[in-house]
Amino acid sequence: MRLLLIGFGFLGKELVKALRDKINLIRRLDGDFRAVGAVDSKGYLYNKEGLNIEGLSNLNRLSEHEGYRAGRAAVELISKDFCDVIVEATPTNIVNGEPGLTHIRLALSRGIHVVTPNKGPLVLAFRELTSLAEKNDCELLYEGAVAGAIPVFSLVRECLQGDRIVRLSGILNGTTNYILSRMFFEEISFDIALKEAQEKGIAERDPSYDVDGIDAACKIVILANALMGRDARLEDVERIGIRGITQEAISLAKKANYAIKLIGTIDRKLEVAPKLVPINHPLCVHGTLNAIHIETDLAREITLVGYGAGKETVSAILNDLITVLKKRAGKTNSIFEA
Amino acid sequence: MKFDMTLALADKPGQLLRALEPIAKNGGNIISIIHERDRPVEGYVPVSLVVDFPSRQSFRNTINDLRSLGIAIIKSEEVVEKVRLTFILIGGVDLRKVVESKIRDMGVIGLEVSTSRLGEVSVKLDIEVPAENADDLMDELKRLAKEQNALLISPIYP
Repeated sequence: MRLLLIGFGFLGKELVKALRDKINLIRRLDGDFRAVGAVDSKGYLYNKEGLNIEGLSNLNRLSEHEGYRAGRAAVELISKDFCDVIVEATPTNIVNGEPGLTHIRLALSRGIHVVTPNKGPLVLAFRELTSLAEKNDCELLYEGAVAGAIPVFSLVRECLQGDRIVRLSGILNGTTNYILSRMFFEEISFDIALKEAQEKGIAERDPSYDVDGIDAACKIVILANALMGRDARLEDVERIGIRGITQEAISLAKKANYAIKLIGTIDRKLEVAPKLVPINHPLCVHGTLNAIHIETDLAREITLVGYGAGKETVSAILNDLITVLKKRAGKTNSIFEA
Repeated sequence: MKFDMTLALADKPGQLLRALEPIAKNGGNIISIIHERDRPVEGYVPVSLVVDFPSRQSFRNTINDLRSLGIAIIKSEEVVEKVRLTFILIGGVDLRKVVESKIRDMGVIGLEVSTSRLGEVSVKLDIEVPAENADDLMDELKRLAKEQNALLISPIYP
């Protein structure tokens, strides 16, 4: 299988390192697996025999590598002549989904499998993209798009096939969980906790995407559409962020054995809002952790906890790639069997 | 519909069976029964029952039948399933006054207020309401929060 990596930012680089470290595991499934191209915003590298993954993993910028073709775009390589699967890891854009939406549409319409952690295209065009994938008999996998390393989509797809999800809720944004946790444990104000998060690189200079609940709302839309058969849009989510939360409110809650967490919920409606969570509830996790609580008609309650962003997300991307490889190879047994 | 009843039965054989007959005759289904024989009061033994009746009328008929048998009824009231919910409201200086003026109607059993140096008021409310009224309570608190431009923090699964 020929992989085209689109996006050479933080996740793209981490993925290359993971491919380098796990290449033997991957080649057990597909002896011919190779990364044939890597694209950034200004050009690409391409080699039909396969790029040297070790060399790729040492690059800061693709342009440092010999053979870099500046001024060229990913769309030139999204064709069955050049690749079989793309990992679309360009920055998320929830306004128009670009450039990821174009890449994914093109790939799927040409029967090329897509693995992506990119939320924008999934929030804006979920039904369209999943229909395209089905129509062209190819995979669209997005485990890394919601709650990073937590395998929620894989779990439901493989292990809850007979269940109906009644309600789904979770802490879906690590930045706001970090801020609220610091306010809880250190009894500091929102402003001080935010500043600390920014200094540590956990919050952006403009933190509004996180603190106003937009990121969590995007994830709620994807979860609702993928797991609960909805056809939701971002504007369908009732959204309140954490800006108005005071240290006094956190202390009042703490005395009563609650923590205040930014919770996304899908039941009759879609909502992102700060909620009082009992301290002993499985969703009450701290720091940058994410948590997803799934309630179903048969299994009752399942809670998943893990890292929602950062390099741990590569675990989800790699697992999706392996899923594609296994389906292509017609294998269903464990990759660990001899 | 569930009813909580306490009867005073004479401390002699056959009294409990005698009391249970009208309950069964009127369609009552006994959920729990505590027969406190070690706590007789002036020759009478208290028996506490929770009974599920098909209607209030069948409950009233049972009470009448028990009284006509000469059985004393110490207590009889409908069991209303209640929930206890905690909310926090965060707003400006007027918030405390507004909340205090409305809490009598809301079933508030606990109120705690904390004010920041900047004058932001955080109010914790513990409210007990019949379970069937929980949604109405949520709507009322949301309206109050909107009127006062306050942030309402609800429990995760009210």
